Amino acid sequence: MPAPIAKRPLLPTGLRLLNWSLGAWTALVFLFLYLPIAVLVFYSFNTSKLNVVWEGFTFKWYAALVENTPLLSALKNSLIIAAVATVLSVLIGTVGAWLLHRYRYRFARSIQTLVCIPMIMPEIVMGISLLILFTVSQLELGFTTVILSHVTFCFPFVLVAVQARLHGLDPALEEAALDLGATPLKAFLLVIMPCLLPAVISGGLMAFTLSLDEYIITVFTNGLESRTLPQEVFGLARKGLNPMLNAMSAVFIVTTIAFVLFSEYLRRLAAR
Amino acid sequence: MKLIRTLLTLGLVAFSASGAFAAKKPGELKLFAWSEYVPQAVLDGFTAETGIKVSYETYASGEEMLAKLLSGGTRYDLIQPPDYVAEALIKDGLLVPIDQTKLKNFGNLMPEYLHMPHDPEQKFTVPYMVGTVGIVVNTEKVTEPILGYRDMFSAKYKNRIVALDDGRELAVTALYVLGKDLNDFSPANLAAVRPILAEWFPRIKLFDSDSPKTALLNGDVDLGLVWGGEAATLWNENKKFHYVLPAEGAHLFVDLLAIPKRARNVENAHLFIDYILRPEVSKLISDEFPYTNPNGPARKLLSAEQLANPASYPTTTRKLDTFRHIGDVGAAIDALITDLKNTK
Amino acid sequence: MQTLPGVNPENPHARRPGLAGWLLLAPMIVWLLLFVVAPMAILLVYSFCSRDDLGRVVFSFTWSNYARVFDPIYLQVLGRSVLYAAITTAICLAAGFPAGWFIARQRAAVRNRLLLLVMIPFWTSFLIRTYAWITILKSEGLLNATLLAARAIPAPLEMLYTPAAVMVGLVYAYLPFMILPVYGSAEKLDNALVDAAHDLGAGPVRAFSEVIIPLTWPGITAGVLLVFVPAIGMFAITDLMGGAKVAMIGNVIQNQFTKARNWPFGAALGIVFTLLFVLTYLALQWRGRRART
Repeated sequence: MPAPIAKRPLLPTGLRLLNWSLGAWTALVFLFLYLPIAVLVFYSFNTSKLNVVWEGFTFKWYAALVENTPLLSALKNSLIIAAVATVLSVLIGTVGAWLLHRYRYRFARSIQTLVCIPMIMPEIVMGISLLILFTVSQLELGFTTVILSHVTFCFPFVLVAVQARLHGLDPALEEAALDLGATPLKAFLLVIMPCLLPAVISGGLMAFTLSLDEYIITVFTNGLESRTLPQEVFGLARKGLNPMLNAMSAVFIVTTIAFVLFSEYLRRLAAR
Repeated sequence: MKLIRTLLTLGLVAFSASGAFAAKKPGELKLFAWSEYVPQAVLDGFTAETGIKVSYETYASGEEMLAKLLSGGTRYDLIQPPDYVAEALIKDGLLVPIDQTKLKNFGNLMPEYLHMPHDPEQKFTVPYMVGTVGIVVNTEKVTEPILGYRDMFSAKYKNRIVALDDGRELAVTALYVLGKDLNDFSPANLAAVRPILAEWFPRIKLFDSDSPKTALLNGDVDLGLVWGGEAATLWNENKKFHYVLPAEGAHLFVDLLAIPKRARNVENAHLFIDYILRPEVSKLISDEFPYTNPNGPARKLLSAEQLANPASYPTTTRKLDTFRHIGDVGAAIDALITDLKNTK
Repeated sequence: MQTLPGVNPENPHARRPGLAGWLLLAPMIVWLLLFVVAPMAILLVYSFCSRDDLGRVVFSFTWSNYARVFDPIYLQVLGRSVLYAAITTAICLAAGFPAGWFIARQRAAVRNRLLLLVMIPFWTSFLIRTYAWITILKSEGLLNATLLAARAIPAPLEMLYTPAAVMVGLVYAYLPFMILPVYGSAEKLDNALVDAAHDLGAGPVRAFSEVIIPLTWPGITAGVLLVFVPAIGMFAITDLMGGAKVAMIGNVIQNQFTKARNWPFGAALGIVFTLLFVLTYLALQWRGRRART
């Protein structure tokens, strides 16, 4: 782990200026990211079904949301699929990146290129080709096939993120651990892994996000029992945005943000 | 090839130990339908009455449906193809005949929607809903009368038009203007269509097949070539949106219910079709999706306002055309549209 | 191009893998063979086939699908897609790099929370987010209303269904994929390096160009890859926010599998598209290696 930023005496003016403007820029980026989200939340309280003009305040879309069983079960399916796909992707991606870094494999470059193909392939091509694969092998479409497909396009993102970080890692690190008597597994888990953690986290976040929002590949590799949220949402939204979907997004986002704030609060309590 | 297949199967089975294989359950119906076209209340009502669980998968275009159906990844019990897709499926022997003796309510269907060209013997399909494609005019913004495609696509409405993002629908408008048959996509006709569309395309502000009403409601455009049901929703929202069946010619589309060859629950599919044909159930569909209802007794249950909606029940004495299966010309139409969108 | 995310042939401590090394890598290789190589092989077979009139694949050998790929129509579409993706990548880099850097410079706890905040908006469906942008940009939308109220403009601007709207949509969709990798490589930098640069008399600009950029280069290249490549294939945003007025390579491929029902041609397009990237990628890697030796 890099040394935490030590409390430094007053920064020189030039750096302070740079820091300040970077902060302002980041704030602008966050504004850009959250502007549509704010709009979504705002319109989730709108009376009008067609969501075009503001007509009045209501909670009815939230009530409709709770009663919409297909939507809720799709949400559950999506979370299950995204969670499983993320865990598998992180596992395959992190281990893969480390092995490719540590060993000089024959065909390493071919393997690396293969890893990148799912990131390059247009979704529809991947969706169709996986669909053909699954039908040729007579596998009934469902959770298994979706998860397999999702991991296939998610794990390369983890792998690339971890590789970018390994690139600047001091190669002597593992050596040192081994010299001090650690087994290779221990060296990996206790010395390398903590260094990779930020990349693993950001790669895992990417995988989770991609899986949660994937539509096209899901459509072609999914069966009826494991319908995902994007499938349900596309069905509903295709005919114009339904405020119930706004309500759902609002609940989702507010819950996550509340969770983040709450964990921060707990951490502070514990630190006291 | 066989070896590869065996290896694949072994590999995949190893991965799928969790057991995602749905064995045939007696009380089940796998429905593959358009998104936003079968009300949840209808599905729930059917399950409550029969105990049959309906799993519902949706698609956004007839072709998407065909792709998944032909691949055979899931064995659907009931599908909802548009007329010209059903015609192709019948031709290739991919549908199971429907046993009308099991459908007590079959007589509710209006005769004009039976024995249509896609299924002349009325053996394989049952009409679900019917619609037209026409022009919506925002009469607050467009004051001159719009009677047909020529009026709508005229230069003065540049950047005020939304059109369906559907190559075949667009090409058909030009065929009508030329006075040709709407199913005749001979190379000569395609060549004749090109200059007309090339003139019109730059005037169109956006193409949207899914929800063309949105741009009209948002005030981004004032004219639209849209599905009848979309126009009906617009009219319900605001009476300033008028619906016009184009003077040069207009066509009807019929969405059907049909049972694919590999269906596992043919009995349940019949039960569901019969349930849908009940007037009170059919009315629920009309309430939510204001297309033309082909069910005679169900129409009697509709309100005066529903029946007065010019987009759901257009008043015309003309005989409306229907789309036929056009084989592989679809690819040529797609190339033409891609090219036209490129060169503008 | 200094390095790409990829094999690091210069890791001096990398050694020949023994049996254990290969066994550990085996799951990933099997996965790749099953779900990347096998589907690609199927596609390759399809791309030489033709179709019957229902759109089913007929197994016969023909080059015609590949001949069609190089029709000027489709080359032009590809060119436009690359251009849009390049502009998107440039904007994402300009917007995302400082943000990724700044987040990486915070305390660990703050850092992780900011990172999560970057991703949260993307947990709502893509379609819902896009519709939210439509609400903002449409003629009678929020932005126009605000500008009109502030008397900044005399009449509503036509923003939706323009190339600018498409850019907004694309940048919004891919920004996190730039921020995250930049963060990943900026986070491990020792702050002291930047300070040292300053102590040695480098101004902010020089510190940035001579210390920060070179040190975060792997993150930048990863970010460019993660944004540029998927942006080329993207078409839903050009359809929804651009009004589907121009065709993107993603549309063309999608249409072959749906509207036009011409799977073999779609497969040929997909193969060429994928190959193009593999070749570019390999060329960049090769150049990177040559530059270093």
